[in-house]
Amino acid sequence: MTRKTTLVLIAALAAASLAAPGSARAERKSLLKDQPAVRHRMLLVRGRFEATPLFESSINADFKHTVSGGLKLEYHFSDMWSFGALGAYGSSINTGLSKRIISTLPGESVDPDPTPTAAEFTEHLNKMPIHGAAYVSLTPWYGKLAAFGKAFVNFDFYFQGGASFAQLKSLCRDQVCSDTMADDDPLTATDNDPNDDPPVNDGTRVGLYLGAGIHVFMNDFIALDLTVRDYLFKDNPSGLDFNGNGAVTEKDGRFLSHIFMGAGISIMLPAKVKRTK
Amino acid sequence: MLRRKRLWLVALAVSLVATGTGAAWAQDDDDMTFEPDDVSKPKEGEPAPEPGTEPGTEPEPEPEPEPTIDESKAGAQPEEKLGEKRVSWQDIVVVVRKPFLKNGRIELLPTWGVTMNDNIIQHVQFNGQLNYYLTDVLAVGVEGGLFVKNLREPFDLVARQARRLPTVNKYNYAAALNFHYVPVYGKFAIFDRKIIHWETFFTAGVGFTQSEVLPRDPAYLPFKNFLITPNVGASMRFFITRFLTVNVGIRDYVFVDKFEPVGRGPGMFESAADAKENADSSIINNVVFQAGLSFWFPMGFEYTTFR
Repeated sequence: MTRKTTLVLIAALAAASLAAPGSARAERKSLLKDQPAVRHRMLLVRGRFEATPLFESSINADFKHTVSGGLKLEYHFSDMWSFGALGAYGSSINTGLSKRIISTLPGESVDPDPTPTAAEFTEHLNKMPIHGAAYVSLTPWYGKLAAFGKAFVNFDFYFQGGASFAQLKSLCRDQVCSDTMADDDPLTATDNDPNDDPPVNDGTRVGLYLGAGIHVFMNDFIALDLTVRDYLFKDNPSGLDFNGNGAVTEKDGRFLSHIFMGAGISIMLPAKVKRTK
Repeated sequence: MLRRKRLWLVALAVSLVATGTGAAWAQDDDDMTFEPDDVSKPKEGEPAPEPGTEPGTEPEPEPEPEPTIDESKAGAQPEEKLGEKRVSWQDIVVVVRKPFLKNGRIELLPTWGVTMNDNIIQHVQFNGQLNYYLTDVLAVGVEGGLFVKNLREPFDLVARQARRLPTVNKYNYAAALNFHYVPVYGKFAIFDRKIIHWETFFTAGVGFTQSEVLPRDPAYLPFKNFLITPNVGASMRFFITRFLTVNVGIRDYVFVDKFEPVGRGPGMFESAADAKENADSSIINNVVFQAGLSFWFPMGFEYTTFR
């Protein structure tokens, strides 16, 4: 009986050993825990200065597209964080909507028809010759890709936020914008026709800036930089009465998105790239 | 005596089975770890690992070896031939397998989309795609979707400010037969911690769209158009699990749309048929941003090649 008990105990111990490896494993900590996802990684941005000649064009403008060229300067003080600024100088092109409207507008106004003449409509539109931003940038994703199984390139995604600025310009001649006393107060307003009011949509604007983009590295220090940027500030692109009070005033401006898509060539300095351990 | 011996044998067998099973479990465990004590001491008859290949410095989960060649050593090492016994560290796989196989699988992809390039009218697209992967990089599929219109600020603004009513069509539904090709494959790390695999694929296809005129004067009836619609696009796919991926992309649906004639009014093109007969045509690029989740069937897959 005693031997039987001993044997049963041995068998029980053996059975218990089935569970033992599991609990032992649970106590172990993986050597990979808290390790970086990639070792010996090329530090393509950390500690580097980035200079990017760029081109960008508006994609959501209602009346005038802005096509511009400029320069972006940025310093990457860590793998993920950087700060920088960009400025662009551009020229304006009428959108398809503007062209269609202008082609149907009359050359002379006829009272009491409130339709603007082609000159009134055209000269109230504003342009954006200069725009730019100062921002902080976060680069949370980096990686590499293979194209057609042949070309292997590094890339990263980044997101930016900061302040935007723009210089707006509108040029309405005196004979077109002749109502220099334009007012939305019915007691003092000279007339109820906004088409001859000054457009009040030029000057400097400051607002919010949001951006996102991708660097595709051609080599250790040159990258293709593809971006979408949104410059948000108060604007009245048509320069006509927006709020329906019969006059063009500052109150017709509203906070609008000015979305641009662009491309540039980033040059990273110093040219020599470091690696992680 | 014989019975006692048999009992001891049974106990010994149970012990052996228990030990053996534990070892098998350890081999099957995905979370298997190497303790420094396990591997730092070379076994008898096995050469010591070279400096730099110590186990503590080798926990690379995604090996991306940058080839470094020590020319002074290269000439001194004897050339290894097939059939020779190799040291264990040389058997480590340095190129990981693709984490997601698509060959022979069906993808069900519901997407939400929004038109990007029309500042008068915007459409929200609710779309569904069913694709079959002929190979890991080539698929054929069908799609169908409904559109919901949303008139934007300039639609009213142009009417109030310029006294012009925009000529606008809305889209009702569309369908297409598509081919997909995957030329770009990659991976990236998020915050230097988690690695995500992704790919880019191009789409080309042909189908139809139904558009409907929004009459400038609501007193007149609208008319509908059946439009042959080629499409091209590029999308990115991020692999989340073996049966789930996240897709984002841009598609350009191209068609020649027919719009309400400019002169439609009293005594002119009043009926829908007349207006359609004299409609103004224009080529339209309906560029749509799409995002969706893909569900893959069968929900799992097996590798058919060795690691």
